[in-house]
Amino acid sequence: MNPRRSISSNPASTVKSRFTNGFLKALLRINRQRITSTTAYTPREIFRGYLRVKIAADVSMASAIGSRRAWSRAMLRKVRSHGRDGAQVRRMSFLAMRKRNLYGKKIKCVEEDVGCYQANVLRKLVPGGAAMDMCCLLGETAHYIKCLNTQVKVMRRIAEVFST
Amino acid sequence: MENEFFQNAGMHFESSASLSSIWHSLSSSAMETRGTELNCMSDQSPDCLRNPSWEKSTDHGIHFDSALSSIVSSPAASNTNLSHDSFVIRELIGKLGNIGNSGDISPHSRPLLASYIGGNNSANTSCYSTPLNSPPKPNVPRMDHLIKENLPSLGKSMPLSSSVAEFSADPGFAERAAKFSRFGSRSFNDRTSQFGQNNAEALYRSNLLVETESLSRVSSSPSLKAVGSQMRGQENYSSPMQDRTELASSQEESTISEQIPDVETGLKGSNDLNPRKRKTASKGKAKEPKSSPFANSTKVAEANGNSNAKRCKPNETNGKENGPVKAEEEAKGSSSSSGDEKQSKTNTKPPEPPKDYIHVRARRGQATDSHSLAERVRREKISERMKFLQDLVPGCNKVTGKALMLDEIINYVQSLQRQVEFLSMKLSSVNTRLDLNMDTLISKDIFQSSNPLPHAIFRLDSRASAFYAHQAQQDPALHSNISNGTATQCSVDPLDTALCQSLSVQLPPLNGYRESVSQFPMFGEDDLQTIVQMGFGQNPSQETAMQPQSFHG
Repeated sequence: MNPRRSISSNPASTVKSRFTNGFLKALLRINRQRITSTTAYTPREIFRGYLRVKIAADVSMASAIGSRRAWSRAMLRKVRSHGRDGAQVRRMSFLAMRKRNLYGKKIKCVEEDVGCYQANVLRKLVPGGAAMDMCCLLGETAHYIKCLNTQVKVMRRIAEVFST
Repeated sequence: MENEFFQNAGMHFESSASLSSIWHSLSSSAMETRGTELNCMSDQSPDCLRNPSWEKSTDHGIHFDSALSSIVSSPAASNTNLSHDSFVIRELIGKLGNIGNSGDISPHSRPLLASYIGGNNSANTSCYSTPLNSPPKPNVPRMDHLIKENLPSLGKSMPLSSSVAEFSADPGFAERAAKFSRFGSRSFNDRTSQFGQNNAEALYRSNLLVETESLSRVSSSPSLKAVGSQMRGQENYSSPMQDRTELASSQEESTISEQIPDVETGLKGSNDLNPRKRKTASKGKAKEPKSSPFANSTKVAEANGNSNAKRCKPNETNGKENGPVKAEEEAKGSSSSSGDEKQSKTNTKPPEPPKDYIHVRARRGQATDSHSLAERVRREKISERMKFLQDLVPGCNKVTGKALMLDEIINYVQSLQRQVEFLSMKLSSVNTRLDLNMDTLISKDIFQSSNPLPHAIFRLDSRASAFYAHQAQQDPALHSNISNGTATQCSVDPLDTALCQSLSVQLPPLNGYRESVSQFPMFGEDDLQTIVQMGFGQNPSQETAMQPQSFHG
């Protein structure tokens, strides 16, 4: 589908390979952190661990893409700003907040454009989508979907290998 | 306005209205000729129009000419109120005769033209009488002879254009002809657009081409040669054509001159003619409507030389200047109508004019102001991206409509993001059990495994099944754990112990896991599905499990 995502003779050249490398390195780093620190099985710790892995996946994906895409830039920007704010922000029921805000507000669309409401929802989904017009938003969504697919495939494969 | 033209031309047309009536009748007849192959109009003598000698090489063009000539000649039948007009026309013909350098031509043309004079065209039916037959036929051989004589003198390889060149040698005549074309084209805008449908136009093109060349507004000699190549096959009908073009037919000039730029492209499909007409140099005429062929006709000569450069300019004359507007080849516009004036050119790429502006072709029946054009470009971009997204998102083919498509896209993106979260949760739980030397094995495995997704799903399911087969009693706890979506106070130990045991048990056959787990494809699939369903508790999650099998990214 996308030549970038095919496994070429030089694995480091594709987005998929770059993502895999970065993600695995991050996983190992997290693993080492976990081993050194006390392995706590409280929900909070589990959630924190999960969040680390998730952020590692997103960051490694965005880094594999680079600065070519607006959504990757926005994602990196968000992660860095979140990191600066500290763990407090991240701990704020991350998932719950996202789910609530997604369909919470129904923005009345006065334009003749049919997909105005959906466009707003899409803007929240795609990182960096708030500042885009419809045309760029659709382009970024397409690229984002492709990268998400790659991400899911690789992570699934890794989980599969890890879980053996 | 028409009066002014004639006065400026030095022709003393006392009643331009009557002349305009002539033009109108000519145009109407021309329209009809176009439509019906000259059959409709002549009730009296359709034969003359279907003359096989006429139809030898040219169809509409010549017939149109004959019709026009017949119309002009019909006044002879009823000399009612056009006596003064006929005088004027005779004057014009006289001037035409004087212009010609070779005396041979003018006498021939004069009787020919004189036969056209005279009259009124009140009755269209009377226009197409037998006089039509007589002038062209006898003159054809004579004109051919004359043309061939003039060939060496002119030094051109175009027999047809020779006499025309002579006619146009007079700059005053050229100007007058231009003005006539301006006048005539206005009334023949819509009609003439239909004329460019056949190669017979090449005749006219050659004639007018020479004329326009003499006007020193055209600089493309290759076009002349191109026309000449086509002219040779149609020699026989050149002379009557010439006469008529001179006489009439400023409207003919307009129509043909509009089509002259097509010559440059080697007379491609008729579709080119109409868009060319529009594109040819609609410059400088402030009073012109936006992209009317009338405007184009006035600048035919310029257009011939600069047609390429000005191909997209008609839009600019409308005041539309869009930098970011995408230049669209509106081939789809051609489907709107065959004879419309606003067909987009597709097969001839203009040598791009100054690249600041991206030119957009307005389609027929659509607004041509800058806003709507930009809007249309934007909408087409969006629809193009939507089509691309349709390929990406599975199951979007059945959905039609922008809103539904966007809903599907949103659902898909959400499901993908949830999958990532689920997998990262899984990885974080699994991560703690990894040995450090696993990373090398992992990296090797991931790069070596280029298995398609369904296999991966099965493997994953079998993995999961292997987990739960060992820890059957832990399933409820595991399910409840994951069903919360986030880590809760539920017991996590079973999960850990389960993973520990499963890992320790199955760590040795790491490389052989593919074979071992392939035995439980269906079982694991169901299990994973149930887990996912309980975890997310929504339909999309079911899609999440099912979709990976259907799409490969």
